[in-house]
Amino acid sequence: MAWYHGITTAFNALARRGREERQMDDEMQFHLEMEARRLVKENGLSEEDARYAAQRAFGGVERHKDSVRDERGTSFVEDLGQDARFAVRTLRRRPGFTAVAALTLALGIGASTTLFGVVKAVLLTPLPYDRPEGIAVLWSSWKGFDQTWLSYDEYEGWKADIPAFTNVGIYSDGAVNLTENGESERLRAGYIDRDILPILGVKLSLGRGFTAAEDIPNGPRVVILSRDVWARRYGADPSVVGKSIQVNGQAAQVVGVMPAGFRLPLDFGANGPTLIWLPLGADAESNGAIPGPQFQKGGGSHGFYGLARLRAGATVAQANKQLADRVAQLKKEGVYPEEQQFRAFAVGVEDQVTGRLKPVLLVVFAAVGFVLLIACANVAGLLLVRGEQRRREMALRVALGAGGQRLSRQMLTETVVLAGLGGALGVAFAAIGVWLVRHNAPAALPRVADAHLDPWVLGFALGTAALAALIAGLLPALQATSVAPQTELRDGGRTATAGHARLRWRQTLVAAEVALAVVLVVGAGLMIRSVVNLFAIDAGIRTDGVLTMRLSTPAAWYPDSVRVTAFHDELRRQVAALPGVKAVGLVRILPLATEMGDWGLQVEGYTPPPNQGTPGDWQIVTPGYFEAMGLRLVQGRFFDDRDVMTAPPAMIVNRRFVELYLQGRQALGAHVRIGGQDAKDPPYTIVGIVDNVKHNGLTREVKAQFYAPQPQFATSPGNTSRNMTLVVRGSGKPEQLINPVRGVIKGLDPRLPISDVRTMNEVVQQAIAAPRFAMQLLGLFGVLALVLSAIGIFGIVSQVVASRTQEFGIRAALGATPRNLLMLSLGSGVRQAGAGLVVGVAVALALTRTMTTMLQGVTPTDPLTFGAVVGVTAVVAIGASLIPARRAAKTDLAKVMTG
Amino acid sequence: MTDPATPSRAEILQGTLEMLTLKALTLQPMHGWGISIRLRQISGDVFDVNQGSLYPALQRMLRRGWIRAYYGDSENNRRARYYEITRDGRRQLEEQMAEWDHASRAVNRVLRFATQGA
Repeated sequence: MAWYHGITTAFNALARRGREERQMDDEMQFHLEMEARRLVKENGLSEEDARYAAQRAFGGVERHKDSVRDERGTSFVEDLGQDARFAVRTLRRRPGFTAVAALTLALGIGASTTLFGVVKAVLLTPLPYDRPEGIAVLWSSWKGFDQTWLSYDEYEGWKADIPAFTNVGIYSDGAVNLTENGESERLRAGYIDRDILPILGVKLSLGRGFTAAEDIPNGPRVVILSRDVWARRYGADPSVVGKSIQVNGQAAQVVGVMPAGFRLPLDFGANGPTLIWLPLGADAESNGAIPGPQFQKGGGSHGFYGLARLRAGATVAQANKQLADRVAQLKKEGVYPEEQQFRAFAVGVEDQVTGRLKPVLLVVFAAVGFVLLIACANVAGLLLVRGEQRRREMALRVALGAGGQRLSRQMLTETVVLAGLGGALGVAFAAIGVWLVRHNAPAALPRVADAHLDPWVLGFALGTAALAALIAGLLPALQATSVAPQTELRDGGRTATAGHARLRWRQTLVAAEVALAVVLVVGAGLMIRSVVNLFAIDAGIRTDGVLTMRLSTPAAWYPDSVRVTAFHDELRRQVAALPGVKAVGLVRILPLATEMGDWGLQVEGYTPPPNQGTPGDWQIVTPGYFEAMGLRLVQGRFFDDRDVMTAPPAMIVNRRFVELYLQGRQALGAHVRIGGQDAKDPPYTIVGIVDNVKHNGLTREVKAQFYAPQPQFATSPGNTSRNMTLVVRGSGKPEQLINPVRGVIKGLDPRLPISDVRTMNEVVQQAIAAPRFAMQLLGLFGVLALVLSAIGIFGIVSQVVASRTQEFGIRAALGATPRNLLMLSLGSGVRQAGAGLVVGVAVALALTRTMTTMLQGVTPTDPLTFGAVVGVTAVVAIGASLIPARRAAKTDLAKVMTG
Repeated sequence: MTDPATPSRAEILQGTLEMLTLKALTLQPMHGWGISIRLRQISGDVFDVNQGSLYPALQRMLRRGWIRAYYGDSENNRRARYYEITRDGRRQLEEQMAEWDHASRAVNRVLRFATQGA
């Protein structure tokens, strides 16, 4: 039963510590009084003498009290408190050491907590849909198009024929003008069919979704507002539901308000999420939907995002198998020509949203783990040095009866307090880091800007701090126990052997730090080279000095293309007249911002292979666009003011177009008919050839592309481009043009909203946001790792130099030159760095393969990067060793020998 | 310096102190001062230890369950903390006394042999 008593006594002691203390005081007081009284009575002493004699016989009251307290069996808990107080005292005595160690840990903890916040927001937080694992995004693909939209036929087909789907819905996106109290705003709009919201399982915060009766061509005009627009434009007034608002200059009834933060699956990572939703049927005339059970040849026009809800228990893989089987059958039926290599596939919605960012994030997260490890190693090294300095103190305490275990625990407590400090500071760093991420994350990175400090992230910081305390504190704590007072306390106390063991530990730590740093810096180097390569890719345009902004001319205010053209002409004239403007034009789709679709053509003298068309990516422009965007003219001319609506239709094509359709022929003057042109309309004549523009992405294949003047294209085949982007090239900073250009637009038509105001350089940066994000973070962590390792190397060389001062003195006396001594101490740091370099390069060679998909124009084992990293690390190592080593070279013999 | 592997003199004394205390408590429950008086009486002042060392020993025996403490009125009507021996304590005392007996007999034998051999 002894254990039972042990526990109850300890518990009582803890719970009623105060009472026990009083009882002990009383008991001892009672003893002294009784003893004194006895001495008065039996030995006839005076009261005062008796009191002294009793105390003498009793011994030191406080000492006995301490012993009683020890025996109470509560020492573990009480010691902990005592250790913590002791640790705080010790740490406060050495503010320099404490600051360096706590800051180092804080950097590691802060960086990893920030990154965890991002990882949690992007990868660990479920998408805001009902059972997102049961939602798939549907795509089509064929030769030259890896991933493109669905056609209406395909939507109907997959909905009916794929057993793995319980429901399929489609949507498209665009933009509308919302006008309220004379103030217009351009909003990205989603045209969703009636099944989209049920598939996503979204509960509206007010009102309802669209009904089947609303999802029809020329149906009632109804809209759903985003919570943001509802709050911003309508003061979160619930009575807005049911009321009429002005959309694209026409009345539309609000039927619902989306929940906060709602996004369509493809809105994650988009430049601007859709903020207002209309029934897809309302948009049917422009999306080319031909409802019906039959597949058209080629599946029809591809322009819809498809979403599917999986049957319970069905997987995306099963759905893909069924889609492949169905497509094979359709090929047999002749719907899709074999040469087209048509494919239909489903992607789980989570994969779709974060799939591309996931490997990048995991690599960066691993990198930050390395930084944390290096920070821990550094602090462990610092603690070992301090252990060295405190060996006599420790030995003395062992001699005075402190248990070895108790001493290690005390050391460990010190590290825990240190890690607590580092953790608190680290959380502050993480708060700053998360704030920076939220405000600087490129919109192209899905969900990154949702990162925030929540209890989970704070818990992670706590866990990291605990882990750091364990990693950094264990080794020094174990070292503290191996103190042998006999040797330590002997006069002089210089022992070579024990010191060597400690030094070896530190050397291993430093080598490990260097190895980790090498891996990080190699990763950063590869990313830097990739991003440099991305920037070096010739996109076919000159982005410097270019400002862009979107504006549209709604049909309600500009009913025909004549009026649209007149507005564009006047806008161009007035903007061109602004000081500092070199060129101005408008374009349908901005390069590198939005992918472009194709349009069927007939090129005179070109016969496509059987079952293949002559597609060309269609770009509609006004005169001045080519100059403003800086395209290169290969042959012929750009559009100019002679290419008016009534002039003979003119076309400019890219080099790829000539290679594909006009190979070996005179391209200038060739005739091209655009699908949908009236037979009696004249064909377009090619008047110019421009260099290829990497419209769909810097690393994507360039497709045949044609440019047509906006007024001519509006006449034949008859498609007025109302959403255009204004492109202005200035001689100075493009930002300076924003207000003057806005002023011009407002002066022309104050109702027109402007959106997506960006410089072309921003557009390019967003196009390569993911690799840039990885590069910036890996670069930052690489530098951090190098600095921490340099501190580690500096520390170890200092220690070696300090511990060998006597030896150096003797060597100097025996004729060693300062240079000899310098090399000798330099070696101690460089050797560790060398070992770390070798290990680091080997590990990096094995690990960088995981980055393959993130790299551009550089192999994961790029010799140039590895060579540069080895060079930089070596320079840093030698530099860090040199400072303390020079002190060794200046060893003053006389001082050493007499001191 | 002491080697922590072998019991120090203080530890040996402490063991003895515990045994004598337990022995004293077999007669009747006593308070701390009473125990210290009794120890001095029965040992004839041989064990001249600090009287205060008794209290850590008592606390240790409490924790091990060899003795129990309660409050009672003392000689001059003051409340005092009394200790009484438990069943575990009696068993412990018997074991310790047997051990002591065994050890002292062995020592006696050696001493007798040594005397004879002289």
